[in-house]
Amino acid sequence: MLRELKKQHALIWAFANRDFATRYRSSVLGWAWSLVQPLATLVIFAAVFSIVFRVQAPVMGNGKTSYAAFLFTGMVTWNLFSGLITLSITQLKSNGELLKKVQFPAYAPVLGASIVQLIQVVLEIVVLLGMFLVLGNVGFTWLVAIPILIGTAFFAQGIGLMLSIMNARFGDVMYIVGVLLGAMYFLTPVLYPMSLVETHSSALAWIVKLNPMSWYVQAMHDAMYTLTAVSLLEVAALLIGGLLVFWAGFVIFNRYSEDIGEML
Amino acid sequence: MSDYAVEIANVGKRFMRNSERRNSIKERIVRGQSKRAEEFWAVKDVSLNIPKGSVYGLIGHNGSGKSTLLKMIGGIYRPTEGSISSQGRIASLIELGAGFHPEMTGRENIGLNGSILGLPRKEIAEVTDEIIDFSGLREFIDDPVKHYSSGMYVRLGFAVAVHMKPDVLLVDEVLAVGDEEFQRKCFDHLYSLRKAGKTIIVVSHGLGQLEALCDEVAWLERGTLQEIGEPTDVVASYLKRVNADESARSPLAEARREDLDHEGGLQSALRLTSVKLMNAEGIALNHAETGITFTFKIGMTLSDTVLGPNVRVALQHESGPLITMIGNHRLGFDFSYLPAGDHTVEIDLIDNPLLPGRYRVHVDVFDHTGAKLLDSWNEAAEFPVRSGSGEIGQGFVQLPAEYRLS
Repeated sequence: MLRELKKQHALIWAFANRDFATRYRSSVLGWAWSLVQPLATLVIFAAVFSIVFRVQAPVMGNGKTSYAAFLFTGMVTWNLFSGLITLSITQLKSNGELLKKVQFPAYAPVLGASIVQLIQVVLEIVVLLGMFLVLGNVGFTWLVAIPILIGTAFFAQGIGLMLSIMNARFGDVMYIVGVLLGAMYFLTPVLYPMSLVETHSSALAWIVKLNPMSWYVQAMHDAMYTLTAVSLLEVAALLIGGLLVFWAGFVIFNRYSEDIGEML
Repeated sequence: MSDYAVEIANVGKRFMRNSERRNSIKERIVRGQSKRAEEFWAVKDVSLNIPKGSVYGLIGHNGSGKSTLLKMIGGIYRPTEGSISSQGRIASLIELGAGFHPEMTGRENIGLNGSILGLPRKEIAEVTDEIIDFSGLREFIDDPVKHYSSGMYVRLGFAVAVHMKPDVLLVDEVLAVGDEEFQRKCFDHLYSLRKAGKTIIVVSHGLGQLEALCDEVAWLERGTLQEIGEPTDVVASYLKRVNADESARSPLAEARREDLDHEGGLQSALRLTSVKLMNAEGIALNHAETGITFTFKIGMTLSDTVLGPNVRVALQHESGPLITMIGNHRLGFDFSYLPAGDHTVEIDLIDNPLLPGRYRVHVDVFDHTGAKLLDSWNEAAEFPVRSGSGEIGQGFVQLPAEYRLS
């Protein structure tokens, strides 16, 4: 897989360049837009959930609490996951004309698009870091966030690859996934801390705990928000797990993409 | 290393008809896997060896499997059975500019397209200027291609594809693009690629082009191979089939007049009643073929004896010009006394000099003095002339001519 990806890196970059160059070319504010949406969501959710629903955020590493910071930590992780999946899923269809006419590895446009999506993730992370700096919540555990985020990205991309090839065959996949992602969002401790579910329903807590995205989001909460050490074993598991899912997605994708020219 | 650039062995491609394709999950669930797939073989049992450095043509009707075969060579479709092996980089001109992104500039698109076609970035940078010059779009190269005209789009696409240093170039019906000047440039470039030992596989309906360009031609019909060989031979037998099919299908080139009264108060004993085309064997035709003798058969009915009429046939090209007027007085043929009754005049057009096109037939008859019109029939019939060789030719007629070196 690595050799293959290395061989095709120029092509993947070419697609990334294309998507990068065209993403906001006809809008005035350009990349600023990619931050407007998550920040607006943050403000709205923070207001609704902390004021209306009175959700209590756990205590930060510096002893204070900030629901907005807690929420944004989870949101950045979640957006990384759902952004990659949503973008990947439509890539084969949107590059259909090309795939029907020229032979080249079909994962290239998918991965290229994802690389550009990562720029947005980085922008969000920069805002998150700025937020914590202002709040004075800084710690060495931040470093752990790097492998966690990398694990999240690979995990999401593996699923994204599988879903994109499924969507090329069955056009309904993208709609189903849209609904599932919506449901999964609420089953991930982004809007609420895990402790809140545990006190209310153990059955629901079980479901949330089984959701792999909960593992990534919680690890991020630990590393960035509460500044508690995440065990090396857990970090390794999250990273390797993500890589394994990516590998599986890549293999499945390549197996079924051989007939992509006819499928579309 | 074999001498063949592409070897195609017993290749078949099966498609499932739409009724079988379950494109949505709902259909899958509701109808399940269909028990009997409705199969359709687009290509069946085709074996071809395409020599290195040759220009190879594929001909056949629409839907004969040419493009499917080309897509299999290009690796876009996998053969259902049989195998295809090829050597070197294959670039395809199947769809020009397929990878262009409208928001990006021409230059950016050259880079992207080059990557997609598999050229390393360094080499792309080297040929970019050449591509821009070839396309003749230097002025516009930094504009987004969405502002390009369709001709400019295709020119850039062609320029990119032929500069990808392919070992095998697949060309599908794209030679008819751009203006005359650019087309010539394309052909010159194809010739120079051939000279450089590249293999070119062309699908085209321009039979004349193929004859001129190709070393070998294969003819496909309903997915199976009909003939392989010298371009002139294969094109000729393909055209024979096409012409025969057309004869079987389209109505005969003939006309009949039931009304025996003359128009405009013309007083005469002669009335033209029918016109038809016939070949040398006396079989009615619906078209004529360049270079092959055919016969106009003109029927007339006489109510009285007519002395030495001049029966004239005028041929007019569909675009307007009168091509020629044939008359028996000029040719020195005298009918002398024609008794009352029905007569048929046969006029042989020897080695039919008319080039392909549609022609209208006007017939009129004057008396022996040439002063009195006996009957005239405008646009009595219309018939097409087809090419027997794939050569279309320029103008309307090919005059009998011989070359000599002195």
